[in-house]
Amino acid sequence: MIHKTKLRNPLYLITISAFFAIILAILLYGTLKLEEDVESKIIKISTSDVLKIAANNAQYITSFLDKDKSYIEQIKSDKKLQEKIDNALKILLTKNVKYAYIVYKDKNGTFRFISDGSSPQEKAMIGQKFDVTSPLWKDLYKTKKPVIIHHEFLKELFITYLYPFCQNKEVEMILAIDFSIGKIEDVNTIISTMKTTIIATIVIIFLFLTVLAIQTFRFIVARNSAFLDKLTNVYNRNYLQEIENFINLDNYALAALDIDHFKRFNDTYGHEVGDRILKEIAQIILKNCRKEEDIVIRYGGEEFVILVKSKRDERKTSIDTCKRIHSSIQSHQFYISDTEYVNITVSMGVNLTPGQSRTFSDAFKLADIALYNAKNKGRNSIEIYEDGSKARQSGHLSISEINAALEEDRVICYFQPIVHSKTNTVSHYEALLRIVDYDGKIITPDKILPAIKGTFILRNITKRVLKICYKTLKDNPDIQITVNINPQDIINDTIIDRLQMYAKKRDIAQRIGLEIVESEDLIRLQHADKNLLKLKKMGYKIFIDDFGTGYSNFIYLAQIKTDFIKIDGNIIKNILNDKLSLAIVKSIVNFAKEANIKVVAEHVSNEEIYQIIKSLGIEYAQGYHFSAPRESIERLEF
Amino acid sequence: MRFALFIFLLHSFIFADQYTFLLDEYDKEMELEAKILSQIAKDGIKTPITLFIPDITKSEKKVYGKFFSISKNCKDANLIFVNKNYEHNFAMCEGYFFTNNYKKLIADERFFGALFWSKSRPNIIFIKKRLKAQKITLPENYNRYIEELQ
Repeated sequence: MIHKTKLRNPLYLITISAFFAIILAILLYGTLKLEEDVESKIIKISTSDVLKIAANNAQYITSFLDKDKSYIEQIKSDKKLQEKIDNALKILLTKNVKYAYIVYKDKNGTFRFISDGSSPQEKAMIGQKFDVTSPLWKDLYKTKKPVIIHHEFLKELFITYLYPFCQNKEVEMILAIDFSIGKIEDVNTIISTMKTTIIATIVIIFLFLTVLAIQTFRFIVARNSAFLDKLTNVYNRNYLQEIENFINLDNYALAALDIDHFKRFNDTYGHEVGDRILKEIAQIILKNCRKEEDIVIRYGGEEFVILVKSKRDERKTSIDTCKRIHSSIQSHQFYISDTEYVNITVSMGVNLTPGQSRTFSDAFKLADIALYNAKNKGRNSIEIYEDGSKARQSGHLSISEINAALEEDRVICYFQPIVHSKTNTVSHYEALLRIVDYDGKIITPDKILPAIKGTFILRNITKRVLKICYKTLKDNPDIQITVNINPQDIINDTIIDRLQMYAKKRDIAQRIGLEIVESEDLIRLQHADKNLLKLKKMGYKIFIDDFGTGYSNFIYLAQIKTDFIKIDGNIIKNILNDKLSLAIVKSIVNFAKEANIKVVAEHVSNEEIYQIIKSLGIEYAQGYHFSAPRESIERLEF
Repeated sequence: MRFALFIFLLHSFIFADQYTFLLDEYDKEMELEAKILSQIAKDGIKTPITLFIPDITKSEKKVYGKFFSISKNCKDANLIFVNKNYEHNFAMCEGYFFTNNYKKLIADERFFGALFWSKSRPNIIFIKKRLKAQKITLPENYNRYIEELQ
């Protein structure tokens, strides 16, 4: 699919070529016109002197003649006069004036020579007939004015200048001067050189433009091909990189689509079937999108990004498009052989307001979060990301705000002590994530984590918290810290590498407890249990956080050999009034004793609760009864 | 290399007129003369014409050969076109004599006419008396070329 608004139509090259062709035609016409103008100008300049001399010469010849007698008869009858006039005509002959002679018209209208300044070989005899080639010769007898005749067909002559000898107001004879072709050849050489230079320049420019147009066309074709995914024929990630800085996200809704369990299909039926599925899914997406307006991109292996064009107040259209794509894929039969087919489902995350994000990348992360949620809810569904304004209303931070906090070093940790109930001394400090906003207000994790759940920003936050803890431990060699990490962090190589690096430092791993929220993810994620055991080997203590309310799996606890379990605060705070809560706590404590796991009670808010905790044999307690979370480590004694 | 070849070809095309020496010699003037002479012969002599040109050149043979049957000697020819300036002995020749020289025309009564270049312009002259003597009748449109020279 070619998105015409972005990839230009090659027709524009034809327009440019036509434009330049017109320019070149105008230039050529100008050149020809220039040639004519220059020619007439040069002729005028080069002949004007001669014409003046010729006119003077005619006056001079007239001075020999008696005005009262016929000029022709005078010359015919006087040999000396003939010689005198011939000599006067000879003066006019130059390199460019080939002939100078005088003719008259007899009673039959035939022109005859009366005098000739030419050399003896070419000299015409008196009375010799002279066939003229232009009617202007005869016209001169009427106009009685000098005339210039341009010769088109005579090989050696260029122009002839005719000057009338008048007697009694009638033309008696004509002085004729023939300019040789030599003059025009000189002029033509200059003009021809000019013309050749101009035409050569035009030809070179034209060829250059042609080559440029061809190369541009080839470049566009090559670029278009570089932007297309060869397998699915939709745009690839290169195209996304090309447009992401220019696209107006206000005009689009952004959807991330992931094929459910695609890896399983690939592993079961082979890559050939996998590729066919990808192709068919791409075709279904394209079929349900508007060709000219929507943009479909294969983002990764089995992930597609769809930019559905829609106005801000027409978001329903985008959702309808996504629903159409989702249901079309769901109902499609993907044939894995001639007879067998499989059904495939997809999960989609939709960001309806990508324009509110700073960059395409930020907008995509929100769609990705929604996609993550869709997958978490059991796949085969469409999740819409809650827009930024709603998030702000509830005091939640957006991804861009969290990113900014990371960049501007506004991510900090508060520390809350965990007290050993037998000795009444601080055993550990729990490091708690905080962000300081621009007003200096402290933002707590419940306002931070929803936006970044499942994104790499959460990884960055974990890394930052670990770094703060590492520094705090170095500054306070006699304390131990527990830090909250996400199940996803356990399988993340960069987090594991960082923890491995800290473990190499003396007495660091032994002083860090890793608090992991108990959830299905922890069990589901591959290598999570192996990594936990690996971390334990490095010296880290494992704490299962919020135990008792979520997904409580006692067998798994035994498998991962957890060191501590932290009973959820919601159970502890009800322990005074709710028998069931008390029973749960007792049960957990009994199990922990059997399994040799230490127990921490959270949310211990008063002395009464603390006393019950102690009476139940819970060794560790944490809560406002001892101290609220504080920005720095405080040495407390109880 | 491509660019050099392109420049060479461009130069060759632009200055093509510099290479006309590679073509056969061709004389437009000669062809015009041959055409006019052929027309005069057809209009005046009427019988099939066999042309003799003294010391005929290769190019003359080629050009005049298009309009006439060319004879190697003047005895077999009925039209002799004298277009060289030097003198020839035509004592044994019978036929109609034509020249390209005005002075020869005036000087030698055998010539009934001439086609010559005067001031770079083609001129044709027939002498009335000689036409009559040689029993050559030209159509009326030739009258402007017929002179009553003695």
